[in-house]
Amino acid sequence: MPDETLVRAGSTAVSKTAPAYGHRALMYSAVFVGGAAGSLLRELFSLEIPGAPFLTATFGINVVACFVLGWLYAIRNRVHAHVLHIGAVGFCGGLSTFSSFVAELERLAETGNWVVIIAVSAEIAAGLAAAVLGEALGRHQSKETLE
Amino acid sequence: MTDLYLHAMFALGGGLGAVLRHWLALRVTHDLPYSTLIVNVFGSLLLGLWIGYLGGSAEMGEEEKRLVFGFCGGFTTFSSFAYQSLQLHRERTIYFAAGNILISLVLCWFALWLGLMLMR
Repeated sequence: MPDETLVRAGSTAVSKTAPAYGHRALMYSAVFVGGAAGSLLRELFSLEIPGAPFLTATFGINVVACFVLGWLYAIRNRVHAHVLHIGAVGFCGGLSTFSSFVAELERLAETGNWVVIIAVSAEIAAGLAAAVLGEALGRHQSKETLE
Repeated sequence: MTDLYLHAMFALGGGLGAVLRHWLALRVTHDLPYSTLIVNVFGSLLLGLWIGYLGGSAEMGEEEKRLVFGFCGGFTTFSSFAYQSLQLHRERTIYFAAGNILISLVLCWFALWLGLMLMR
């Protein structure tokens, strides 16, 4: 089961080394499955919204992934390590992308500086807010089960 | 059938990227989120190189394109970056969080640009 050693400040959100997890192959398989599923979902949604130059699929998908990661982090003590490896490390990481994010910024930079600044600020602010909201949901659920 | 195959290539790239990212995260153990930064910078560099390469005269099959695009997306991560920025703000100061955001953006953007330039 995941414990505090899995989650340290500033390190990868979920797992460091999982002592009770046993087989490394199983862990990487879980990450692979989650990553493949997340990537597939991102690919299927990668359609641009017409008329909104920076409201792209990457934007929405990154925000959704932040929400899910925040939620999983908040309930990490109540779920099995498999769930965290599939969901947090694999799925959220595969779903969200930094490379397409900067590639879109690069493309936006051709249209003007202000557009880029607005897009960067909006995306990062939305991502942080989504993570906080996801966490709040997870904490709320944890509290409900305790009562 | 071909469509399914292409989606499978994208998913394969994404899965491999995620595995490599996690492999690195287990080895780069530091209190500051360096592994995410490394992953994002190298993923952006690779995407820049790939876009630049495809933009040239390169003849490339659709499945190879998808495989690398999938890999870049699975390898890099926005969610861990955002969450770690949040954690830096909570457990250190807001300057750490702001620094993480700025450094990630500048380095990744530079890496992407460098990749595009190298292939021009």
